[in-house]
Amino acid sequence: MRVDAGPAEAIVARHFTMVTAGTRRIGVTRLTNGALRAVRDRCPHKGASICQGILGGTWPPSAPGELTYGREGEIVSCPWHAYEYDLVTGAELFWPKGPGLRLYPTEEVDGRVFVLVPETRA
Amino acid sequence: MDVALESSLPSSDQAACIIDCDVHPIVAGGMETLMRYVPQAWAERFRRKDAALHGISGVPMRFQHPNGSVPRIDARGPKGGVAGSDPHHLIADLLDGNGVDIALLNCIQAGAVAAALSQSQSEESVVLTRAYNEFFQQEWLPLDRRLRYAATVPVQDTEAAVAEIRRVGRDPQVAAIALPLLNIQMGNRWYWPIYAAAEEMGLPIYLHVTGIESLICGTPQITAGVFDNYLDRYLAMPQLAESSVRNLVLSGVFERFPKLRFIFAEFGFLWLLPLLWRMDRIWRGLRHEVPWVTRPPSETVRARCFFTTQPVDEPDDPRDLERLMTLIGEEVLCFSSDYPHWDNDMPGATLRFLPPAMRRRIFHDNPKRALRLS
Repeated sequence: MRVDAGPAEAIVARHFTMVTAGTRRIGVTRLTNGALRAVRDRCPHKGASICQGILGGTWPPSAPGELTYGREGEIVSCPWHAYEYDLVTGAELFWPKGPGLRLYPTEEVDGRVFVLVPETRA
Repeated sequence: MDVALESSLPSSDQAACIIDCDVHPIVAGGMETLMRYVPQAWAERFRRKDAALHGISGVPMRFQHPNGSVPRIDARGPKGGVAGSDPHHLIADLLDGNGVDIALLNCIQAGAVAAALSQSQSEESVVLTRAYNEFFQQEWLPLDRRLRYAATVPVQDTEAAVAEIRRVGRDPQVAAIALPLLNIQMGNRWYWPIYAAAEEMGLPIYLHVTGIESLICGTPQITAGVFDNYLDRYLAMPQLAESSVRNLVLSGVFERFPKLRFIFAEFGFLWLLPLLWRMDRIWRGLRHEVPWVTRPPSETVRARCFFTTQPVDEPDDPRDLERLMTLIGEEVLCFSSDYPHWDNDMPGATLRFLPPAMRRRIFHDNPKRALRLS
């Protein structure tokens, strides 16, 4: 199934553009390097609408008393339990054995973005 | 769990070597005995204000043991003093009589004095803490190489505490630093100089109640409101360890002092399981608030913390206890008797149902990793 997500210039970083594919809601965004990401709007932990969470960066591990910040626009934090997911890989950020985000392939054609969604439920 | 049921289970072999991580000596003769380790000016001060009567943790009547005595009345020994006051009897009764190869002496009265019962500005706590340590170093430890000691530090004065750690740390029979707490959580930077010194000397930090928690301002306030009786207070004490583990993890102490170990004595350990699960769960989501906590809290606790076994809980089926110990991580568990207190777990009657290899780890291998044993 090829789902039209709209004009390419409307798909921006730090914001999810929502589309539906059957019963599935999918959020589409861009990373800061311009790469597209399409993610199932369902947190793999307990099923929350993860696209309503915080889409931004994070504070990576640091020495005691120090603080650094990065990965702007690449981390989505669930609104329910705040688990952090890496939009680059879909994996949970600091819990490698946990389930990750469901990501879908995308393509940009003639100025529009499309999400490629399997016909079977996934 | 009654004795009959435990006896009917397959009994494991006695551990090849028993290390008892919590034994309670008492200074025979009390404060007056300590005066020979106190400069004269201080000795006269303590005598003038009758410190022998007021200087040891006096517990209000509501918290008196319902049977009249925390130390066992059957452990008094031939001289008849308070149980734990005669080193020769303690050695014969606990070590020789039970096959204990190493016993860690932990004098909780010193902790009460250091934390709250004596003054800090006038250095009473510094003077008395050193007196306690010197007393045990000179009058107990030389009696038997199997005796080891958790030296108490004057927590109200961190500079003095550091100096005392460096002094006692040269004694090979000093195996831990007993840290009485102020009403400041263990992760707070107040304690960091003490942690640095202990880490430098290879000594673990040893936490045990002093008996005056929640009774006096300046000591840790453990629960909501004042305890009502001995049982109420007894059952609340593990909360101090639970709070301390939590705060140590979240403050980054384990990252700041990467070699430092912590021993939590006489708090039990079953409460640890849900805490580990919950800490990991919240860390997964809100780790960025404490980015210096660089790995799941349960991993850190299992690597750097130890918990003595007494008082062992007694479910109807002791095999449930084994399962829970495995879930927690048996590597953190260290045998302790709490001799000569009323609820001690004597080694021959404790955890007999465990598989031999597991029992050996708890009675010997884990304590050997936890303590500094020369």
